[in-house]
Amino acid sequence: MAEYEFPECTSFGSVIRFALELEKATSAIYDDLAARPELASTKEPLKALADSHRKRSDILEHTRREKLNEMILEPIQDIDSSNYVIETEVPAGVDVAGAKEFAGKVELTSSRFYLDSSKTAKSLLAEAARILERMGKENEANKARLDAL
Amino acid sequence: MALLPEVKKDYGRLKNYVNGEWVDSTSSKDLDVENPTTGATIGKVPMSTADETKAAIEAAQEAWEAWRETPPITRARIFFKLKELMEQNFEDIARIMVQEQGKTIDEARGETRRTIENVEVAAGIPSLMMGYNLEDGAAEGIDEDAVISPLGVFGCIAPFNFPAMIPYWFWPYAVATGNCYVMKSSSQVPLTQWNLFSLIDKAGFPPGVVNLVNGSREVSDTMMDHPYMKGISFVGSTPVAKYIYKKCGENGKRVQAQGGAKNSLVVMPDSVLNRTVSNMLASFYGCAGQRCLAGSNLVAVGDVAGSLLEKFVDASKRIKMGYGLDESVNMGPVVSAKAKTKVIDYIDGAEAAGAKILIDGRGAKIPGYEKGHFVGPTVIDGVTPDMKIAKEEIFGPVVSYLRMDTLDDAIDFIHKSPFGNAASIYTQSGKDARYFRHKVQCGNIGINIGVVAAMAYFPFAGYKDSFFGDMHGQGRDAISFFTDRKVVITRWF
Repeated sequence: MAEYEFPECTSFGSVIRFALELEKATSAIYDDLAARPELASTKEPLKALADSHRKRSDILEHTRREKLNEMILEPIQDIDSSNYVIETEVPAGVDVAGAKEFAGKVELTSSRFYLDSSKTAKSLLAEAARILERMGKENEANKARLDAL
Repeated sequence: MALLPEVKKDYGRLKNYVNGEWVDSTSSKDLDVENPTTGATIGKVPMSTADETKAAIEAAQEAWEAWRETPPITRARIFFKLKELMEQNFEDIARIMVQEQGKTIDEARGETRRTIENVEVAAGIPSLMMGYNLEDGAAEGIDEDAVISPLGVFGCIAPFNFPAMIPYWFWPYAVATGNCYVMKSSSQVPLTQWNLFSLIDKAGFPPGVVNLVNGSREVSDTMMDHPYMKGISFVGSTPVAKYIYKKCGENGKRVQAQGGAKNSLVVMPDSVLNRTVSNMLASFYGCAGQRCLAGSNLVAVGDVAGSLLEKFVDASKRIKMGYGLDESVNMGPVVSAKAKTKVIDYIDGAEAAGAKILIDGRGAKIPGYEKGHFVGPTVIDGVTPDMKIAKEEIFGPVVSYLRMDTLDDAIDFIHKSPFGNAASIYTQSGKDARYFRHKVQCGNIGINIGVVAAMAYFPFAGYKDSFFGDMHGQGRDAISFFTDRKVVITRWF
């Protein structure tokens, strides 16, 4: 069983670490769902969603490396990370409807995290804020993709 | 939260890098390199001898003729390769810095980025180093040219607070302009440069062009006395900066010596308080206050004093301390037991002088890091301009809170300081901001910015006792410092 560590969001680095954990967990959830025989009819779209979350990890790593600037390394004091921790263990035997509901909750929680973080980041790093906002909107789009399955 | 992995537990005894090779120092005297968070010894640094330093300088001098004749674009290409290697090793550079210096991983990553930026700017040397000319400039049929030329061997004596970045304010520009280089890293934090030299070794610089000598004062004095050395760059305390400026002057060398600081952050009644407080936290507590751009005096002007203090104290209490390899940590320890004692002495002195300690960082204890040199955020109210704590450099996470009636009072207070490194104003008034930036005699001015850290393409400035010399590190100043102008007047019969 994979373990994920969702840190307190008290710094820019820890916000990105939280996001990386979200992406790692979410891609693993989709990989798990895509591998289940009972969900074979949705295998390809689920694999595509897993891949898209892996790609987002690369974007986050790049953001952390390229955008950090000591002039705006301010402590972050207004994000309560416990509001955004996702359920990472998919119950056994879920059908397509159950899988959609489980993954949909993950996408919506992630979306809230990214959109709220984006508001905080706006006063620190405008470019990072844009990236976080875009990710939040992608989560919403992913939820719509799930609904359409 | 789990820590990011340390790159190594023990880095062993460091070698010098001379003439393109790693060499053991013959010195029998080593210093321990301590992790200031855990107290563990993570390496040993030799106190290299004068002869070893001379060998490095002579290797640099020998390499110089060929290096200065290497076309600038070819020299630049090696810097591109170095940049690539630094990007590949980005995280290791940052984590080693956390291990030996104590800063947080965010701070170390930010510093690594700034270090790379100096390599990027220096890689633009074919454009930066162009001279100028004037056809018929001397007389009809007689042209005049100014050619920018390198001078020989330069060196750097580096401080402990920015183990990666500060040497890179200097050496990439020196070497890109066609000089050769000898670096003495800080004996407190030698691992970062040792690690970066392993990348320099792979980048393709010819032997002797860049050299590293570990050690202490014997190395520095040998560099300043050696006739091959054309100039020295230094960053550290004001007394040492003065010593270096004088000694280099006596020996006919160029010198840029950055000294101490006592930076005031002035908050006007019309400032945006939430954003102001958040930004000031980074200035006062970033790198545990151990930077020459750190805020030290918080000057409240007029009736903002009460509400500002309340918000600032509340936010300061929420600063999370710990090992910088925990990404949620906001502030690490100071660099050594000696540094901690010095900071605590200043707080004790302020209390004895009648100031009120609103938040007291003297007893900071971090579970699991009992041997760490932690001083917590400290806010001292009731500080007056005549108190020692308002005048001297502390180099720790200590905030002296002062109240002034007018902006002019605040500026007068800033001007009474012997230092002139940085000052910031927080305001929404363009008029006040313009007045502040025009009036204040400091080299780095912040308008709603508390850490006025010049980018690689601007000089890192400093006035008064904060800087001794003419040309600063980074940017065009660096190009001027490491070169001279050769004027050529040409006539053809």
